Amino acid sequence: MSRVPVRLDAGCRLPARPDEKVLVDARHRRVGDIGRDVARALRPAPFSYNRILPPRARPLLMNTFAFLINQSVNALSQAALLFFLGVGLTLIFGIMRIVNFAHGTLFMLGAFVGYSIVHKTGSYWLAMIAAPVVVGLIGTAFEFVILRRLYKRDAHAFLMVTFGLALIVGDAVRLIWGPDALQVPPPALLSGIVFLMGEPFPTYRLFLAGFGIVMAVVMWQVLERTRLGLLIRATSQNAEMVHALGVDVTLVRSAVFGIGCGLAALGGVLSAPLLTAAHGMASSVIIDAFVIVIIGGMGSFVGSLIGALLVAFVQVFGNYYYPDLALAFLYLIMLMILIVRPGGLLGKEA
Amino acid sequence: MTTRTHTRRGALAVTGAAVASPFIWTSAQAQAGSTIKLGMPLALTGPLGSVGQQQKRGAELYAKVQNEKGGWLGKKIELLIEDTVGNPATCVRKAQEMVERHDCRLFTGITLSSEALAIVPKLAEWNSIFISSDNGDGRLTAESFVPNFFRANTSGPMGTRAVSLYLKESKLQKMYAIGLDYAWGHNSIQVFENEMKRIGKEFLGKVFAPTGTRDYSTYITKIRQSGADGVYLVLAGDDNNAFLSQAQQYQLPAKVTMFTEQIELSAMRAVGDAAVGLVGSARYAFTIDNPLNKEFVELWKKEYNGLVPDTFEGEQWQCQKVFEAGIAKAGSIDADKLRPALEDLTIDNIKGKVHIRKCDHQGVQQGFMVKVVKREGFSHPIPEVISTMAADRVTPPCNKMTYDD
Repeated sequence: MSRVPVRLDAGCRLPARPDEKVLVDARHRRVGDIGRDVARALRPAPFSYNRILPPRARPLLMNTFAFLINQSVNALSQAALLFFLGVGLTLIFGIMRIVNFAHGTLFMLGAFVGYSIVHKTGSYWLAMIAAPVVVGLIGTAFEFVILRRLYKRDAHAFLMVTFGLALIVGDAVRLIWGPDALQVPPPALLSGIVFLMGEPFPTYRLFLAGFGIVMAVVMWQVLERTRLGLLIRATSQNAEMVHALGVDVTLVRSAVFGIGCGLAALGGVLSAPLLTAAHGMASSVIIDAFVIVIIGGMGSFVGSLIGALLVAFVQVFGNYYYPDLALAFLYLIMLMILIVRPGGLLGKEA
Repeated sequence: MTTRTHTRRGALAVTGAAVASPFIWTSAQAQAGSTIKLGMPLALTGPLGSVGQQQKRGAELYAKVQNEKGGWLGKKIELLIEDTVGNPATCVRKAQEMVERHDCRLFTGITLSSEALAIVPKLAEWNSIFISSDNGDGRLTAESFVPNFFRANTSGPMGTRAVSLYLKESKLQKMYAIGLDYAWGHNSIQVFENEMKRIGKEFLGKVFAPTGTRDYSTYITKIRQSGADGVYLVLAGDDNNAFLSQAQQYQLPAKVTMFTEQIELSAMRAVGDAAVGLVGSARYAFTIDNPLNKEFVELWKKEYNGLVPDTFEGEQWQCQKVFEAGIAKAGSIDADKLRPALEDLTIDNIKGKVHIRKCDHQGVQQGFMVKVVKREGFSHPIPEVISTMAADRVTPPCNKMTYDD
């Protein structure tokens, strides 16, 4: 099939190369050496990149190794979005022992607030900073006005209250922004494509992957090195002791709830160029968020990072090789991990 | 302190309930029998929420306009609207409640085909008529057909057929297909695959994505790798928006022509330029050239601040018109009288003539191919009708989803 001459864009004609030749080219460039065996084992449907790529991409033509690199970077970009969602949820649980059911809705709210900022100011970058701040403040206010009164009650109260918050915010978004999905274009700087190993890749996704890594390192450093991080870690281990040492634990709780909500909104505003700002975002991410936190272990920062990476990679590669099982993969990995470690990878067994 | 709060809340709740309950009771009592209830268990939220919202707006405007004219059979139309989130089990439960609590005998607007397929086996037991305004799955008028089901809208196979007739004339040879992983997606792509093979195009493969998929890059990669020069989309709602946005970011449209089974304005508003160039069949488009449609578009603009009606808003309107004509002809909403009245009914409406044929209750109607273009005076791209196909060319033979020629 690959020997049949095919139409090329830009008016030039070349015979499509057999896959072997592509691999030889790759070896010649010394990138295919490691990937070649993997490539043979994993090669999916017949490749035909030669037919659809612009001429300038052709010399670096794809092999399976390049495909793996490309999809891995893509999986990293998806992991970044899931990480912002999961880490917020896990921080809130770690400090407050609250399972925040409104997390998916706040993710969606972030996207809609981001839409408004982009359309008022024309700056996506501003939206990226301001939307999480706005949603974070809403979260803090909610903690201050409502949650604070309920700490002495058991977990059911929080389930009900955060679920109520999800419903109220969901309807408020519908009232303010209307029922339709709204367009949030990526910033002009990131709206093009780059060539990763010869394959076109959206610049915006590359940015997401990089930004995710930077933010993970920053958050890790904040937790490990700063006073706020110290207080957060101490409060999650023994809130009463921290309180006895003269720290205003209620303040830490407000701050953490706000930060957690803000991180969800950051995930939302970053997702908007991929998904548009849509009401369905809330329900589609909340399950993934819980899966990440359950895999990683409730309350564990590193756990949520591993969870996000695992979910993203399994989804991306699972969807590619076995699209029929796309939905099942998520639950299968969760099930396997829970059988081996009931408390999650890095969580304490309850 | 705590006790006081509790007492106050308790008192409030009791007072609230006391004030509210007789009101609810009396209003329900007063309305029983004096209105005609139209049950609409819609997917108002969830990934296909935008479709359900359109159906809701279409029915609401119709009810408002018609009630000013005296409603149906001299009774006001009362819409019973509930959210199913697109879940078939929830849909059946809500519909059952409408039958049992409100004595509802007419249904429409059930958003997903999977929900409709769950509802139709119950219709005889409920003694109710259900006229679909958007369900695409061909099986509803084929192997899953029941006598109390009618379809006023263009079905999935009909949309696919319009695309196939269009493609027959096209130079594109190699086709790939992507659909949502539920009844409608599978059904439409099956029909498309058969049609492509029949007209001598190469069908390279298909893939299904679950509703609510956020990352479409693996699917886009598959389409690229297939070497196809055309891809057929059977996507709706959030998934459609996500796919179109991401396909543009991957510059897929530069290499592969995208065809779609249905075109919605809401998608064009949501993804903007990413929709430009898309060619597809439209179940309804506000640009359809027809005096009744122009009148409808003007009415819609007046009601909804200058917005133009979207696909399922138009489809819902047409469905309401079928109800109207059928009920007027039957002089009753009783299923046994309404069913024969709807059979062989012909109305002239916003999409031209619609004939509800007796054999499988499908609305025989024209097919429209549209292209998404940018036009002055619109903040978003709009669908422009590029081809109108005769009703007998796009409607499948009775009780079938495939075409003979």
